[in-house]
Amino acid sequence: MFNKNLKKVITLILALSMVVSALAGCGKVDDTKTTDAPTKAPVDWDGAYMEGEDYKNYISYDLDLLYADIKGQLTDSQKTAVEAAIAAGKTAITAAQTVAEVQTAYDDAYKAVLKEIPLADGLKSFAGESNDERTNMLGLLETYAIKVGTTGISMFEDGGYVMYNPRITLGTENYIVGYGFGTLAEGAITADLAYETNADWKRYYHTYNASDPGTLNYLNDQGSEVSDFYGYIAASYFTTFMNATKDGYDWVPELAKEKPVAVNPDESGTATKWRFEVRTGKDGLKYTTASTIASRAEFNNREVALEDYLTPFKLLLTKKNEYFRGSEMANQTTGAIVGAKAYYEGSAEGFNEELWNKVGIKVYEENGKSYFEYEFTQPMTAFYAMYYITSSLYMPIPQDFIDLVTPQNYLGFNLDATETPLDNSLALGAYYVEAYNADQQGVYKKNPNYVFADTKYNVEGVHIKIFPAAKEDTQAGFNEFIAEHFDSAGIPKERLDEFRNDPRTRSTTGSSVFKLNVNALDKETWEYMFGENGVVAQTPKDEYWEVEPALGNKHFVKALNYSIDRLKFATARGSIPSVDYLSSNYMSDPENGISYAVTDAHKNAVASLLEGTDGYGFSLELARDYFRLALQELEASGAYTPGTKENPTVIKLELAWMYTTHEEAYHNEIKNFFETAFNDDSVHGGKYKLECEFWVGNEWSDVYYNKMMVGQFDIGFGSISGNTLNPLDFVTVLSSDQAISGSFTLNWGTDTNNPDAYPIVYKGERYSFDAFVNAANNQAVVSKGANEGPLSYEYTNIKKNEDGSYTGSLQITETLKGTKVTVDSVVCCNYERYRNGDKEYHEAEVTFKMEDKGNGVSVITFTVPADLAADYANGSGTLPEGTKATGITGFDFYFTFDIDGTVFSDYYSVEDTFEVK
Amino acid sequence: MGKYVIKRLLLAFVTTFIILSLTFILIKLLPYQRPIGGDTQQIAYFEKQVHLGYVYRFDYENTEYGDYLYKTPTQNGRAHYYYQVPVMTQYGSWLKNIITKWDWGYSKTYQPNVAATVIIGSRIGYSIKLNIISVILSVPIGILLGIWAALKKNTMTDHTISTLVMVCVSIPSFVLISFILKIFAYELGWLPSTWPADTSTTWVKIKGYIIPVFCLSFGSICGYCRSVRAELCEVMESEYLLLARTKGLTRRQAIVRHAMKNAMVPIFPSILAEFIGILGGSMILESLYAIPGIGKLFILTLNTKDYDVLFVDMAIFTTLSLVASVLLDLSYSIIDPRIRVGAKK
Repeated sequence: MFNKNLKKVITLILALSMVVSALAGCGKVDDTKTTDAPTKAPVDWDGAYMEGEDYKNYISYDLDLLYADIKGQLTDSQKTAVEAAIAAGKTAITAAQTVAEVQTAYDDAYKAVLKEIPLADGLKSFAGESNDERTNMLGLLETYAIKVGTTGISMFEDGGYVMYNPRITLGTENYIVGYGFGTLAEGAITADLAYETNADWKRYYHTYNASDPGTLNYLNDQGSEVSDFYGYIAASYFTTFMNATKDGYDWVPELAKEKPVAVNPDESGTATKWRFEVRTGKDGLKYTTASTIASRAEFNNREVALEDYLTPFKLLLTKKNEYFRGSEMANQTTGAIVGAKAYYEGSAEGFNEELWNKVGIKVYEENGKSYFEYEFTQPMTAFYAMYYITSSLYMPIPQDFIDLVTPQNYLGFNLDATETPLDNSLALGAYYVEAYNADQQGVYKKNPNYVFADTKYNVEGVHIKIFPAAKEDTQAGFNEFIAEHFDSAGIPKERLDEFRNDPRTRSTTGSSVFKLNVNALDKETWEYMFGENGVVAQTPKDEYWEVEPALGNKHFVKALNYSIDRLKFATARGSIPSVDYLSSNYMSDPENGISYAVTDAHKNAVASLLEGTDGYGFSLELARDYFRLALQELEASGAYTPGTKENPTVIKLELAWMYTTHEEAYHNEIKNFFETAFNDDSVHGGKYKLECEFWVGNEWSDVYYNKMMVGQFDIGFGSISGNTLNPLDFVTVLSSDQAISGSFTLNWGTDTNNPDAYPIVYKGERYSFDAFVNAANNQAVVSKGANEGPLSYEYTNIKKNEDGSYTGSLQITETLKGTKVTVDSVVCCNYERYRNGDKEYHEAEVTFKMEDKGNGVSVITFTVPADLAADYANGSGTLPEGTKATGITGFDFYFTFDIDGTVFSDYYSVEDTFEVK
Repeated sequence: MGKYVIKRLLLAFVTTFIILSLTFILIKLLPYQRPIGGDTQQIAYFEKQVHLGYVYRFDYENTEYGDYLYKTPTQNGRAHYYYQVPVMTQYGSWLKNIITKWDWGYSKTYQPNVAATVIIGSRIGYSIKLNIISVILSVPIGILLGIWAALKKNTMTDHTISTLVMVCVSIPSFVLISFILKIFAYELGWLPSTWPADTSTTWVKIKGYIIPVFCLSFGSICGYCRSVRAELCEVMESEYLLLARTKGLTRRQAIVRHAMKNAMVPIFPSILAEFIGILGGSMILESLYAIPGIGKLFILTLNTKDYDVLFVDMAIFTTLSLVASVLLDLSYSIIDPRIRVGAKK
């Protein structure tokens, strides 16, 4: 019954831990003896589905896993204490005589372990750590997420098989993770494409796209399609090229002439301000265009001026242009540029010089060299200082070109389509636009002005056919490839068997792992998060989701995980089986192209998912054992009552998918995996039945917005991708705190700011997930292991004084003792006028005094003068006739505070009401 | 007659207006399709919608506009709320722009910032050309086959033609084009597998017409053939044709002078209807063969929710259909002098 391999492992660990605990106990008082199980009358084992010994072994194994997860970060003394606590726990588990007693023994041991590790406190920041250390931190976060179930159930990575025309010589025969085959940069084309009728394009790389992006303006686009088209003509400050051994890649300056140099480094080498020398016309850097319109042709071979480096930032961040990527840039948290958000918000009417001067980007000449300097809002390591400024979005462009083509038409068509992206673009990248026929083709030709034109990109050009049939028909593009009309195509799953071993076939890794996301919330927590007054989303009472208690049991979810035969499932679809949360493209060492997937930190994190399985997380035996475990626990907790063979208790799971086609493509097989594992009589004697139901919405995105993100689901299919070169930043999406995850949490069940949910131990201190992920990426104010705001606020409503003025107060409590708080200003806002009057916004500073109440508590008392209150209460007389004033107002409190020498600014806003006459 | 034509044209105009108005309102009532992403992406997306005039942004919850579409995370007590601009407000400004400025809006996603009418104008030529060639080809072939079958009624030739027509008329166009592509484009390599780009040589462009014209004409040929055969057979059994023969006309003379003329009365108007049918049918074909016409554009703009372009495309289809139906009615009187359109009792 109990998996043989796992049994061996557990026996070995048990034996080892007993030896360790015996050794640890040498020479000192043996505290564990006091925890010996109390003598009581023997009772029959009440577990209906698993023998007592097997059950206890599994629960003891959970303690071993717990120890394995934290021991690397424990101090020697902590190790000794934790080992003793675990040994005591195991003894208690062995002595337990009922399922409930075993669970109590486990809980007690778990608490005893936590007690031995102090909770972290203070301002913590690990953002400047080395790549190795960041990898270890990521491993700790991943381990936590797997144990509490916030990674969901991974199924497959979207890599697969691609075929190349034999006339293509690839840069390398083996796919380089995060780089590819180097087809254009390092590859070559050695023969003509017979199908191509234009003699000049016969040696171009021929590919296709299902639709015409309609513009090359990646600066104003939200998808990836435009980015691909723009990428050919764009250059960045830095880029990557295949290394000499053709097994990785190197970062090299492209528009820059050197790697970034810290301007204000701290002791760890991180800095907020960086600079590097850039190429300009003096270095021979010139723009290229094939436009025949005279005003555009003038820019062909025009030298790049230093000021041109500022233009893209102005273009992006000026809100009036309404560039999608500009808004994104202004609102980003990681890699944010100083003053960018403030400039964006203040440039709705156009360029705002005053605010622009506060943006942390400048260019200057020094000793005859041209420099680009930039400042982040948070300290960065040298690599991330390079990475966060390396974007083709920031490719220089002359301001007079933008003035000529207008920000609306830059890289696109004009209103009457007489100018095309060919006319409205300038290239600094490897190619320039040679032809652009809407809905037909985009053709790029090698750019002779490109920085590395002599050594890289030997392929003469790229021809992209707009091929809409590929959107609906997965075989359409492949048929074109087989007919030698295109140079490459992915192999559709229907033809995998035919072409998997073809000499033209290459395998690739993927960018996303597709997974089943799980709603493991209990009823109360669901209501807290998604109920009528939910903190995440608000749901009317009659639409409350009925959570399935089974999914709240970690052993049940683990069993579902073991049920999926990923190898069979993924291979049949030309994908890669995976139990990982992050795909192979996520980098542990982005500088040297080392995937996180190959690191020990990752292997340790997923070890518990793979142990005793086929190597891909599948084991029917383990799945059934864990279902037995789960059912015993769920029955013990009263969540389910067993049925009979004739009338079994049904556990219904709804599986939500994106498309109706997913029913055949994925659902039926997954349903079969789950039901085959669970509905076996050996698991529960037929007393239960698992039923998996298919769900699909009207739009493919419904599974996200109407299901997973609002808690209306049991299990939902989906995946999100993030920054592959900064996975530590990406895993913030695993937080249950919407402010940390960016409101993109897909798996629910654990409060990730509870340090007791599952321990993340780092350098002998215990953190919640939220505290640790923030500290790892930037900094966190940590109190009792949890992530907290630096100040907490308690507002007391304003009261009218006899003279008509108003007085109110705000109590501030410091999270960390010793925080020095200064109130910069208190501002009264005329919301009545803004919302109900002439929509003009007005505010005024009011007087205040601050009183230190001791113990980290201060009270700000402020007074609004009578005339100001009377004016604001009536919206300054701008309300339309007949409209009754509501007296609504607002107060903004602006602070500066200092924690251990680090100075922060913050504000707090609150709404209140004046009396209306 | 003149009054009748004006009345019909006015009715067509009103119908077009109603169709477009209903389409506008119903399509605008479709739920928003937000991008998949966290708050940073959401804010960027909704800010864009504000810019495009589809969404309002408030710094407070404004119940005047119903439920908000998206709320930014509350930070330090502040949040932004995004609300859909009421559909009727959007409809009003859309209509006003068309009436006062003949401004049908511009593309938001398909070809950002390009006038919707310009986009349609640059693509309608491909669709019309293709359809006209298809009609020119299908009418004589269909009619000739029909005549041949009718003349050889109940012979092996008739049975063969009729059977083939029955079989062929049942083949969906996407099946047909896949079959044709497989043989003539992929296996034999005689014809282009996709619509040749404008930069291609004239010979390649000509070859590019063969597959779509054939696929578009296929159904029409069968349709004409069946109609002509049925009509002609009926006429040929009529007494006046027997009288014509007894008066000494040869079979050829009787058929050409009398039978054909009468048999064609219901056939000619159907050519117009068929043209509209082909135009609609070419939507799928244009997508499959990568033809940059208004049929493909219709599907594309519907999928990408590029409504301004979609409405112009829709207006074109609606107008063409309604004008064709007016012409159809008028054509009866031209072909058959016994019919008087709009005549009083």
